Order: sequence, then C-alpha cells, then structure tokens
Amino acid sequence: MLLRELLDELLTSLETGPLVTAVRHFDAKPAVFAPFPSSLDPRIVESLKARGVRQLYSHQAKAFETVAKGDNVVVVTPTASGKTLCYNLPVLQALVQQPESRVLYMFPTKALAQDQLAELGLLAKTLPDMRMFTYDGDTPQDARRVVRARANLVLTNPDMLHSGILPHHTKWVNLFQNLRYVVIDELHAYRGVFGSHLANVLRRLKRICRHYGSAPQFIMASATIANPRELAERLTGEAVAELAESGAPTGEKVFLCYNPPVVNPELGIRAPYLGEAAKLAARFLKQKVATIVFCQSRLATEVVLASVKKAVEDKTGDAGMVRGYRGGYLPLRRREVEHGLRAGEVLGVVTTSALELGIDIGHLDLAVLAGYPGTIASLWQQAGRAGRRSGQSAAILVATSSPMDQYLAAHPDYLFGAAPEHARINPENPFILVNHLKCGAFELPFAVDEPFGGDVGKHLEALHEEDLLHRAGDRFHWTSETYPADHISLRTVTSDNFLVIDTTARDARHTKRRQIIAEVDWKSAFAMIYPKAIYLVEGEPFEVQELHYREDEEKVAYVKGVVVDYYTDAISAKGVWILQRLARQETPGLLAEQGEVLVAEKVVGFKKIKMGTLENVGSGEVELPQQEMQTTSVWLTLDPALLRRVSPSRDELLDGLRALTRLLHHLAPLFLLCDIRDVGSWLGDGSPSEAGVVVTRESAWARLLQASEFTPTIYLYDNQPGGIGLAERIFQVLPDLLRRGLETIAGCRCSSGCPSCVGPVNEVGRRAKPVALALLGRLVPRR
Amino acid sequence: MRPYPALSELAQVVRRLEAKSRHRPSGGASLEQLLGGAIEETEHGRVLLVRRRFALPHHHGGQDLSHARQIASEPLQLLARSDMPPPGGDRLLYLDTETTGLAGGTGTYAFLVGVGFFDGDGFEVRQYFMRDLDEEPALLAALEALFRSFDGFVTYNGAGFDLALLETRFVLARRRWLGDRFHLDLLNPARRLWSERLDDCRLGTLERHVLRFTREDDLPGALIPSVYFDYLRTRRPAELPRIFEHNRHDILSLAALTGWVAAAVGRAPALDLCPEEMAGLGRIWEGTDLERGLACYRMALERGLGSPGRERLLFRLARWEKRLARWDEARALWQAAISIDRGFDPRPWEEIAKLYEHRQRDFTAARGVVEDALSRARLHRASERVLGAFEHRLDRLTRRLER
Repeated sequence: MLLRELLDELLTSLETGPLVTAVRHFDAKPAVFAPFPSSLDPRIVESLKARGVRQLYSHQAKAFETVAKGDNVVVVTPTASGKTLCYNLPVLQALVQQPESRVLYMFPTKALAQDQLAELGLLAKTLPDMRMFTYDGDTPQDARRVVRARANLVLTNPDMLHSGILPHHTKWVNLFQNLRYVVIDELHAYRGVFGSHLANVLRRLKRICRHYGSAPQFIMASATIANPRELAERLTGEAVAELAESGAPTGEKVFLCYNPPVVNPELGIRAPYLGEAAKLAARFLKQKVATIVFCQSRLATEVVLASVKKAVEDKTGDAGMVRGYRGGYLPLRRREVEHGLRAGEVLGVVTTSALELGIDIGHLDLAVLAGYPGTIASLWQQAGRAGRRSGQSAAILVATSSPMDQYLAAHPDYLFGAAPEHARINPENPFILVNHLKCGAFELPFAVDEPFGGDVGKHLEALHEEDLLHRAGDRFHWTSETYPADHISLRTVTSDNFLVIDTTARDARHTKRRQIIAEVDWKSAFAMIYPKAIYLVEGEPFEVQELHYREDEEKVAYVKGVVVDYYTDAISAKGVWILQRLARQETPGLLAEQGEVLVAEKVVGFKKIKMGTLENVGSGEVELPQQEMQTTSVWLTLDPALLRRVSPSRDELLDGLRALTRLLHHLAPLFLLCDIRDVGSWLGDGSPSEAGVVVTRESAWARLLQASEFTPTIYLYDNQPGGIGLAERIFQVLPDLLRRGLETIAGCRCSSGCPSCVGPVNEVGRRAKPVALALLGRLVPRR
Repeated sequence: MRPYPALSELAQVVRRLEAKSRHRPSGGASLEQLLGGAIEETEHGRVLLVRRRFALPHHHGGQDLSHARQIASEPLQLLARSDMPPPGGDRLLYLDTETTGLAGGTGTYAFLVGVGFFDGDGFEVRQYFMRDLDEEPALLAALEALFRSFDGFVTYNGAGFDLALLETRFVLARRRWLGDRFHLDLLNPARRLWSERLDDCRLGTLERHVLRFTREDDLPGALIPSVYFDYLRTRRPAELPRIFEHNRHDILSLAALTGWVAAAVGRAPALDLCPEEMAGLGRIWEGTDLERGLACYRMALERGLGSPGRERLLFRLARWEKRLARWDEARALWQAAISIDRGFDPRPWEEIAKLYEHRQRDFTAARGVVEDALSRARLHRASERVLGAFEHRLDRLTRRLER
C-alpha cells in the first residue's frame, strides 16, 4: 500500500483520526542542478559518473567554487542533500592535483569518521594516491606510526586533535607543512562549553600550521541552526561564507502531531506514548514502509524496539527486518545495521539521537518521533531522516504526557513557527582559554606579544606568575613536568566506559563463554546497569548481577540472559548544598549569593514496568554511590515578606518559583554564551536539614511546603566539575538576567505559561505565570 | 596624574632587570667556573660546554671502559639488531639526556645533553647545557655538528626516550634530524640478561649489581626537572653540578655496560656468568646462531637455573630440539620440566603424549602419560578446559587401544 493511503487511513479512521492534532504539508521541491565545474579534475568527474552522478546540485557546485576562490565556507543544507560532496569534491581535487597536499577531517564521534571513510573510499577508488585513514582512540599503537607516515587525508575528532596530535606535532610535520583543508562536519554539535573548547583547539591548530608555514582553509557543514555563520566564524576565527540554498530535490512531505488517546478521563491519563509510537511504527512497517523511530533515551529505544518486533513478528514471522541502534552497541553491530539500512535489508530501525547525526543510512519513508527531542533543531533533523528525493514521506511526532509535549500537541503552530536554536560559544572564557594556553605553550613557546584569538598578555603573565611558564628572551616556555592536554577534557563526560558482560553466553559449540555485549559510558551507567536492572540489547533482556565501579576495579557489569516480561526504570534523587559563600549582593527583597556548592545525584531505586501494557508492576531499591560534583553556583533567596505580599499560598508561590527557576535557567545561556546543558538549576532550601541526603524533586518541593520556615532558594550552577566561571558571570549579570526574565514573561502572549516563557502550563501550574511575573516585578527596579 | 604602579607591575620590572643581568652573574663564581666549562659559539648563539677526559684504562666500578672500545662488529650488530654496518668502537657516541620531564611530546626540553666517545688515549665526556630555554637553537646546532662527526649512538632506552626527544627538538627547530644512524639501545639486551635476576632493569640497578659501581650523593633522576626549573627561576646554580655529575655517571655506566655486554656476548657461553645471564645470552644468540644460543641454554640449566625460569627454559629448549627432530633430547627436557613439582603446566605432558602417540605410535605409553597428567591436573585443580582436553585425548587413545 502507498504511504499516502496509509496516512489517509490514519487520518480518517474513527479511532486514530481525532488523535492527530495537526497536519502540515510541505510541497515537493524540484532539483536545481549545475554542471560539473570546468576546473573539476576529469578523473573525479569519471569517478562521479561511475557512481551514477551525472551532474551536481547547485549548492555542491557553489561550494566547490567558493572554496576554489580561497574562501572558508559553511554549508547549511538539510539532511540527505548531498552535503558531504560539498567538502569531498574540493578535497579530492586538491589531493589529485597536488599530491603533497594534506587534509584533516574532524567529526564529533568516531563512528561518523568511520562512516565518512567508507564513503570517501568508494568515491576515491579510481583516483591515484589516496591514502585515507582514521586516527582516533581506536587506532592501534602500531598502526598510528603508519598513519602519521603515509596518510594524506586524516579523519579524527577534536579530542584526539587536542591530546594526541597537536602535542606531538613534530611527528606530523608532513601534515602541518602541507595542510590545505580542515573539514569540520556536524558543526552544530560544537556549541556551549564543548564548542568553546574546540575554538581554542583550532587556535592551537592554526598556530602550529603557521609554525610549519601552512594556512589551511576551513570547509564546514552544519545542520540548521539559527546562526551557522556566526558559529563558524567564532570557532575558526576566520571570515566564513555561508551557503544555505540547497539544490537537492525534496519529495512531498507531511508532518503530523499525534497525541495518544485518553484512557482514564477522570484522571486525564493518556495511553503510554512509547506503546503508541511502537503501534504506529508497526502499522506502517507491516505494509513495508521503511520507518525510523527516534526515542529520547536508550531505555526507551529498547522498550519500543521490543514491542515493534513483537508486533511485526506476528505478521511476517521475521523480526530481523527491524533493528535497534544506539550508543552502547558494539561497533560491529552498529555497522551491520547501517549497512542493512543502506542495502534495504533492514526495513525499520528504532534509535536514539545517535542516528540523527550524519551517518548514511539511505532513504526512509517515515520518521516516528517518540517524544519531542528537546530542541527545534533536533526535531527537524530527526524528521528529515524520512525523505525521498521523489515521492512522499512523512514524520509523526508522538507527544509524551510531559507538559512540554502536551503543550506542543495543543499548540502545533508554536512548533511550526519556532526558529531553530542559537549555538553559542565563548572561547574567551578564562578557565577554558587559560587551559588551552597551557597546551599551546607546551606545543610551541609563546612570543610575549603573540595573540591567541585576542590579546592574551595578561593570561601569559599569570601563568608565568604561577611558574608554569618561564620567560627566556621574548618568549614564554612551558616549564612543568606535566603533559597539560592529559588533564583537560573537552567534554564533561569521563572516558571510563563500562563493559557489559554476559556470563551466560555460549559459543557455537555450546560451551560457556563470557561475551561482551555492550559498552555503557560512565554517566549513564548508574541509571542503566545498577544491580537487578533489566538491561536490554536489541530488545533481548539481561539482568544485571554485579556492577563493578570502584576506582581500583575494572569497570564491568556482569549480566545474565533472563526471560522476563518487564523492564526497569531508575528513580533518581538529587541535592545541592552550599559549601562556601564567596560573594553576596543584597537588593530590596532579594539576597543573591555566589560560592561553592556540592551537587549530588544518585539512583535510589527502580520501577518495574510491564512490557506491552507499560503498567507499573513493582519496584526495588538500589545501593549505589552518590555521584558528587563540587562546582560554583549562584543562589537566590527571596525575602519572606516579599513572598507573602505576592501570595499567601505556599502552593502558589512554589509554582511561581519553579517557573522562575526554569525561566532563569533558560535565559542564562544568552548571557553566558553557553549551551543550556552547561548550566544546572535546582529549587531547594537555603539551609537543608540533612546535608548530603539526596531527595527526589517532588519530595524536595513537598519538604519546602511543609517546613516551619518557608525559605525557598533558587540555585543556578555551573555544570562542569570545579566550575568554569559560569556562576561568577551569572552573579555579575544578575540584574540584567532578572530584567530579561521580566521582559520575557511580560512580553509573552500565551495565556498561562508556554515553553517560551515560564514553561508549559501543566508543568508549572496555572497560577505560575502571574506569580512569577509578580515576583520579578518586585525584584527588578523600575527604570 | 599617572597612578603609582601596582606591586605586581613592579614585580614585573624587577624580574625583567633580573633576566637582563642573568648571563653575567655579579659576584661569586661564574657558571662556567662552577661547572668547569666554557662557552661555545655556534651559528645560533652560545651554549655552555663542559668537557672531561678520562685517561684509559679507566675503571668504572669493576669494569674497564676500554672493553667498549674494542667491541667487535659481530656482537655489536647482534645486540643492536640492526641491518646497518656497525661502526668501529671509536665512531660511537654514548648519549644520555637530562630533560624537563618524562611526559614526552613537544613541551619537554632536553636541557642537558651528554655524550661520551673514545678519542686517542682517553674517553671524553662532553655535556652541552642550555643556561636558559632560548639557548636551545645553539645547543641543537652544536649537537648537529658533533653528530655529523660520528657514525652511531649507544643509549639506554634511547629509542623510546632520548633520541625520540632529540628528534622532536630538531624537528621543532626546523632542523634536519640525522635519524638513519646506527643505534644500539642497551635496554633490550639488558632486559634479556637481567629481568629474571634483578627487580628492575634501570641503569642505576645494573650499575650497582653488574658493574659494582656506587654513586655517592647522587641526585635522584626524578628531582632533576625541578632542580633545573628552580635554577631558571632563581638563577642560583648551586645544585646544577649535581645534575652534571649524575649525567656523567650515566654516560660512564653506559660505556662500561656496553663493554661488559659485548664481552659476554663475544665469549658466550662463558663460565663466569650466573645462570640467568647465561639464559639471557642464549636468547640474544638464538636468532642468529641457534646452536650457540642452545649451548647457552644448556649451560644455564647445568649451572642450576632456578624456578620458574627453569621450567620456561626447559620448555623453550625442548621446542627447539623438537623442531630439529632431536626427539630424545626433547623428551628428556619435557620430562625434566614435569619432574619439577611446582604447579601444573599441561604443555610438557601434552608434548610427551603426542610424541608417544603420533611419532612412536606407542599408545599404551601415551595413555600412561595422559593418565598421570590427569591425576596431576586434578590435584592442582586445573581448569575445565585443560581437563577436557586430556580427557578427550584419553578417550581417543582408549579407542585406539581397543581396536
């Protein structure tokens, strides 16, 4: 059956029709072609023709010409618009025509680098002298020497460039002497603190290039964000041309919002969205519609996958057509799924945002988004995964019962009208900058007046003061025994991974043989592989027996295969405690303080949830260590008298304060030039009774309501361990931040709360908006 | 009105003045005098050079340095495992560096480079020293000129450290690195010879146990970077002579040890070595002159090599005898390995059983061996896999006997 008919059926059926809250049609757009540029090497043209490419899309030709002119460029075109040719063509041209040229590709993940290497390999098969290698944490030691000596195209990631390549630049003389292009794909991933780090890594890269006499051109590609050119220029410190006009054709497209049915009208409870997403996917898969399902977590992926497989199996008896894909699967399994999708052997895939990035999986007909992915940019990126160049495709957003999703389901115009997010970075953050100056000095002495982004004389002097640098003549030299890059991580996550080992696995001869079935990163480990947890791999359940997490142990979870009809979902708790007060400012009604805090989080238990019906069928407790982070924070304590004047009801005040916390958290990144995830927030108590004991969010609020003294405190803290100055900055700009908050609420046209101001009304309560407005009105001095 | 300069600015002024005056320290002895050196001019500036000559024969601990000079080309090539023609003893540079750290990468400096070589009737040690980090170009220029007049290097862990670091410094300074030189890294033969007997194979350890040389008031290597950093900051050179002394001892030990190893290799199998050293010599020879290597092994066993090295060597030797089809010798060695009652190693049992079953077709004898092996294996609680393999073999032998 055609996708169109299936969609019609969905829309007109009495059962499902009313659940679709919005339908948007996007017209097909014809291709805009351009001939191969006359300067394009005939051997490359041949290779393209051999792969069936007879002409280019206009943006590909334009990118080639822009690069040929010598300009840096950022290409911003939709998923599957042939973006990679935009950088591969000029790169291959350089390598074919000037064999001594070198090129560096950078991807945010190792998997993407692998994927690109494969694609390049196909294109370059018939071209002379192509020596392309990945160089990352997975490259074996003995292979590294070969790559350094031979490669003319190196694919790597920012972390490897930072700690493995730049500090050893003398081993890469050939690369740095002849570096022609630096290609950075997935540019939008480099926002916030991560992006601020990358900007400094690129400053170091350019410095090393200057030393060896090269000045590479930057070719970048980004998903749709509000400010791609600004981001590209801030990251590279160069003028960059933006290319946003896609010449690729798009087929006709339909976007649907689907709100699961109400199953308990008294309580307003809707059917579980995961089940609904699975049902929808199965409905289309049974009719052989190639479908991708995006879930918001790894656990959700497994739960949906299990139900989809079960539903599809009934019909065809073969569920191998549907696969799972997420971080944590071993690389081999992931490659298998990617290949299966491209070859059409895999009809459906259930995934996390892992497949949102540029990995080539061919073309799919339908994208089911199980829940709003959190940003407008991600939403369109995921929806864009479904899309034929001709013919119809569709995307369905299945709303969760979260207030955010319910708001979007009820106000689809908001969704279609919202601009994608800004990607903000702040390379001048002194904590980040100074760290990279250390790395830079290690790599090459700094001339006393040498700029690094801007003037860094003061910073160098400070490092000198601390004896990390030594001045000899007119240069600062690194004088410490340490290797600074080892102590500076570009991402907040640690690299420690847990191996998940199945102790019940058997080999082909049925002898027991322990087998690694997955890898889990440190941050997710405590929420996924706690003892007694059900850990799912492609829908297959394993029960965790032991988790080894102590510092002196190898990080391992031992699991055994089990037959169960439930899965587990972790319950976590949190707390924030003031360790040291460093600064305070008092204004009428408000005491703002800044200092050090301890943020603790802990998995305290889990719920057992029945597969299929998704009902709660039990729970358990978990004994795990608390994850603690010492960092810097700002905290705001409101004068009780002011609170009483705004409302006599603690309930109402609490709603207003929750709204205010969320609002300030969402607005702070505007002032800090960081990502929203770089900041954390918490509404708690100024003087919590039990220091060090974490509680769930709900019980923290309950405690506030019941306490003899009502002393709510809003924390806004720096989400990097130790802090990178974000809290100090919030403290400085606090009056502006509060004023901006007031303007935001006052200027928002929603009736009682929406995602753009205090949050969706069901999340914060009906009186939250006016209460927050009243609070801010009293805190912000009249101009 | 111009504000009065802040304290930090003043501190900066003071530091600048200090820095300007540092090359001509006022009062007291000059650095050259303190270290007994002289300034050398290069095309890239000046560097401090300290020279010492040791008239030959010179004994370093119990070893005369002259032995290194007489090193024959065969053992030299063998030890270096190099295809390059080995240079004569006078054409080698014994090299050791003192650095600002062990981290490697581009931010570690070799601030003192010591080299030793035979010249006329003596052994000369030259030490090139950067009085400040901006003297590196001069130091590298002086080194390059010196390197050009020699044909090869002898180092201790130079492949992994000293030469690798110098290469980094040369490349960083955009100088050509004379990389394709003959290089004997003594660490590799030292590991073969002494890793069984000594706790570690650091040069200092070998110095004490092999060369019988004791340093007095030696500056521990781990403190060297901080002593140098301290000197850079304070310009107080009092501790520097200890770094030079440390480096000089390293170079003398390197030459002495080269003499020791070369002599041992040349005379192998020689009676005056301990069994572990003899086994190590066997490993050194094994690749090029098998019979000579095996002779070393046999002598190591005869001279009472202890466990667990003994079992390992018995097995290694037996494997060679087997490859050479000397079955009786091989069986005797496996049997010797079995008769050492320490733990349970299935391999010699398997080998003997295979020998009886496949080569001599004596299934009864083979079954006897396997039965013994099984009872020993159970006694030592061997793993399922090991037991399974022997049981499998036993079944097959039983079937063959029943036929």
